[in-house]
Amino acid sequence: MEKKRFRLNRRQFLKMSAATGVLLGTAGTAQFVKKAAAAGQTKGAPVEFKTVRTTCSPNCTGACGMLAKVENGQIKAITQASDYPEAEYNPRGCLKGISMINLIYGPDRLKKPMIRSGAPGKGEFREASWNEALDYTANKLKEIAAKYGPESIGVIFQVGGTGYVQKGAVISLATLAGWSLHHPYDQNGDLPIFFPMTFGVQSEEAEPLEWLNSRYIAVFGSNIMATRLPDAHFLVEAQNKGAKLVVFDPNFSATAAKADEYVYVKPGSDAAVGLGLARVIIEEKLYDSVFLTTYTDMPLLIRSDNHKRLKAEEVQGLSKPADVPAYREAYVAYNGQFLAVHPEKFELPGDVVLEGELEVVLKNGTKIKAKPSFQLLKETLSNYTPDKVETISGIPKDTLVRLAREMATTKPLHVIYGASNYQWYHGDLKGRALALIPVLTGNIGKSGAGISTYAGQYKIRMKLADWWVPEGKPQKWFPWLYVLHGPTKTMKAKYPAHGLKALITGWGNPFDQHNMANKLREMTEKGDLEFVVTMDFQMTTSGRYSNVVLPAASWYEKTELVATPVHPYLQLQQPAIKPLFEAHSELWIARELAKRLNPEFENHYFPGIDENTAAEKVIEMLLKTGGPTVAGITLDQLKKGPVRFKSAAPGNRQIPFYEQINLKKPFPPVSLPAKIEQTGQFVKSGRIEFYKDEDLFLEAGESLPVHKPPFEESEYALNPATREKYKFAYITRNSIYRVHSTHSNNVWMDELQDGKPRVWLNPQDATAKGIKEDDYVEVYNDRGKVHGHAILDPGVGQNVVVFEQGWWSRYLNGESFNSLTYPFIKPTNEVYFVPGVWSPNAAWNECLCDVRKAGDKQ
Amino acid sequence: MKLGMVIDLERCIGCRSCTVACKEHNAQPPGTWWNRVFTPGSEFHQTAVGKDGKLQMNYLAVSCQMCENPPCQKVCPVGATYTDERGVVLVDYERCIGCRYCLAACPYGVRQFNWQDPKKAKAEVGYQEGYEYGYPEDVRDKNGHLVYTPNRPVGVAEKCTFCVEYTSQGKEPACVLSCPGKARIFGDLDDSNSEVSRLVRERQTYRLKEELGTSPKVFYLSPVKPKP
Repeated sequence: MEKKRFRLNRRQFLKMSAATGVLLGTAGTAQFVKKAAAAGQTKGAPVEFKTVRTTCSPNCTGACGMLAKVENGQIKAITQASDYPEAEYNPRGCLKGISMINLIYGPDRLKKPMIRSGAPGKGEFREASWNEALDYTANKLKEIAAKYGPESIGVIFQVGGTGYVQKGAVISLATLAGWSLHHPYDQNGDLPIFFPMTFGVQSEEAEPLEWLNSRYIAVFGSNIMATRLPDAHFLVEAQNKGAKLVVFDPNFSATAAKADEYVYVKPGSDAAVGLGLARVIIEEKLYDSVFLTTYTDMPLLIRSDNHKRLKAEEVQGLSKPADVPAYREAYVAYNGQFLAVHPEKFELPGDVVLEGELEVVLKNGTKIKAKPSFQLLKETLSNYTPDKVETISGIPKDTLVRLAREMATTKPLHVIYGASNYQWYHGDLKGRALALIPVLTGNIGKSGAGISTYAGQYKIRMKLADWWVPEGKPQKWFPWLYVLHGPTKTMKAKYPAHGLKALITGWGNPFDQHNMANKLREMTEKGDLEFVVTMDFQMTTSGRYSNVVLPAASWYEKTELVATPVHPYLQLQQPAIKPLFEAHSELWIARELAKRLNPEFENHYFPGIDENTAAEKVIEMLLKTGGPTVAGITLDQLKKGPVRFKSAAPGNRQIPFYEQINLKKPFPPVSLPAKIEQTGQFVKSGRIEFYKDEDLFLEAGESLPVHKPPFEESEYALNPATREKYKFAYITRNSIYRVHSTHSNNVWMDELQDGKPRVWLNPQDATAKGIKEDDYVEVYNDRGKVHGHAILDPGVGQNVVVFEQGWWSRYLNGESFNSLTYPFIKPTNEVYFVPGVWSPNAAWNECLCDVRKAGDKQ
Repeated sequence: MKLGMVIDLERCIGCRSCTVACKEHNAQPPGTWWNRVFTPGSEFHQTAVGKDGKLQMNYLAVSCQMCENPPCQKVCPVGATYTDERGVVLVDYERCIGCRYCLAACPYGVRQFNWQDPKKAKAEVGYQEGYEYGYPEDVRDKNGHLVYTPNRPVGVAEKCTFCVEYTSQGKEPACVLSCPGKARIFGDLDDSNSEVSRLVRERQTYRLKEELGTSPKVFYLSPVKPKP
């Protein structure tokens, strides 16, 4: 429905303006009127806001275009810019973005550099000059690097895509100095690791405009209506265009409330649901066999003796084609004769077999048995009958069969798989199982189709090496879970000899958001973590634990280049006001630190020029060297408004795997900044892979996706007593009032929720515990506890406690909602290591707890 | 001219961006909200409501309903509340004596009272010194009535003005412009070609507490669409 905007025509406007007496001077321009000196009269000159177009960029990564309305050097209001060329995207922005003024001008704003004078977390600081703070910081970092090696200094920079220039400044400094980088994608638990396992890529997402082309949208545990506010309307519009929206969730969420059909599932049972749906699709022959033969590993043969994929070079009469790169492999299919399958060509004949068992003669004359992956999948799926899936998931069997038929026959089908659902120990299995539905039905690479996650937007959209990686120096990456967990036997990443001794952090609040089991606070209190420096525009909990706090510019006070795949636009942040007090952009801070660490480092940061001019120079450089997605885009264009990234799809639309399916390019697409040599090995066949033959998968019994119940290999393995002691799943979800911990201190957001942290319970569970609405309750396990006020919500599933994450510690009496969680590491997350692409992923929701009225005895 | 609004509750996602935009542009002090979004049937916003064994969660945005027969206007002893020629119910902050009859008379509970000096209330939040948010200037109507001022005097009643500071210039209210769900449609109900007129004419709309005869100029479209 095209909405007609309210506009007065010129005549109406003049008539009304004259009548209301608000127009002064020459008619025809709408301008504001200065204070009237006396009733009935208007005096003074009209006032016009200066408006500055910039981009909101907290870690929701929504990157909404905003207009700052400035008068007298103050931002009086923030409104959505509503200037995207596709009207459907306007207006982008939410209640947090438009109330950002409360943070920019709020009481927690940092004014000057601060050096901690008291114990960590106590808030005792003294003000320092920039020179003193920077000298002190640089000297401490040099000292620690000399003592423990530079890799013992870790850098948290959060989501790179929301700030290529400023975040890049700190990343490049870490590269120059040899410090370790913590990739946020796995640190935040947002890496959907089934993506590299199945498609070889970090992740790929359909842009929300594409939702309008879907005819069936199946949402598994994603709460778009709360976590993607600017995009949520596309779901409603898709429904109005005829799409069916089905939401699978243990809780009746805001998204479930808008669905055409809400399907309750037990927590942690989604893999069984996916496999049950896939079984029906295969049993009833509703799959697209041409798609499977052409683009997936389904026809490739698996050896029955060692369960590895049969290689062409192993088979008598076959050989690996000479032009197969080292990171790929040629495997084997059969259509009456054995065929070497070239991993970079989708050219298998239509008659290759997908089912049955074959005898193969190897080069040494040995005869072995082999089956196509599809045959093995079919055998695995035979375990997931509708009856069994009903027992595991709670979905009535008839409903499951009906939904499978609907999904297989209503195209295009788009699956949305939420992070809350994959931030579990077996999140990879769930994703691999759910990916079966669009793949079996050929819903990949097409408009309105696919599987998308929409958690974080980490995918780097352009080449950044010239800025992020000075002189191509090697970067050191240290996955965050190892900081908390310690090294594992199976880890592929390098654990620094002395662990983490210093931390440099910006754009985040790790002491609230990442301190699983309070580890980070303890490390600081005990002195294991010897030095912490935070760059932020506000004094957060992390600031309070830091040795040095450097006042950074907010995103209305600096120049930055921002990208996000939810609406694939390249946009600028442009300063609407000068940085308040003594704040500076991170580029300036990095440049000043670089100078103090090593005078040669400074050359990378455009020394001697104003920080915003330097940022513009970086942007010009990146646009020049950024590659095909930004070809032809100029800084001047960006200053006028958002510019769409280039893609191979019509209209530059962002359609996952468009090139693979339509232009027959092998999987995977590149995951910048990683090289194809690194990620190509994830899917050596060059195809969508469901069968994984690396040893760790085979040992786990996960060569094909299976359902594994939650907690068995995590909580119960860690402590068997947990099975009887803690029966509630502890889910920390996002609230509409915060972006993680940003806006925790926004006065209006707090008013809208009465300033109280909440604990959401099923009313039956609450009654059993003697808990009434609004009671102050304690959620706890052996590792930690958190308090909040109870909300009895009939939409919350039984045996689930929901806590809305992001509250700063000061609103929780010093407690942390993350003190209950544990840094479980699943070995299949360690098969390879490519930072932020295949790396151990935080499983926040793999956590058990109990709940009681505050003050009740243990 | 008769300005009115249609709120499409099917499109409303309950995000409360409109309430925040309203507060910001109209410089409302802490505790004051001209425009609120509720989950009817629920104590806490966005909590499911169990009904006949079925769950639901719908939203209702409520601000001044801009009644054609405004009870607040009738009870105002000094004529501070009046309806302008565009059909907008406004308060003259200089005429209001703070008797609060209007707060009692309004069946929608949308009128707010300045118990405290708004400047002081804002200062208590701890904004940086000298900072003021919202539309920065006074707005007076043709008769000189003060219908907008960034800091209302202590002891006066206030409410939604359909953003008089913007709509008197032919612009749209802040809540309409800020709604990511595009659930709010604003326009002239006297103009049969306007979108609001078309919706009121063609769609099943309802108004709040219609039985009271207040005849609001805010219309709602049902949150529930027919399911296939």
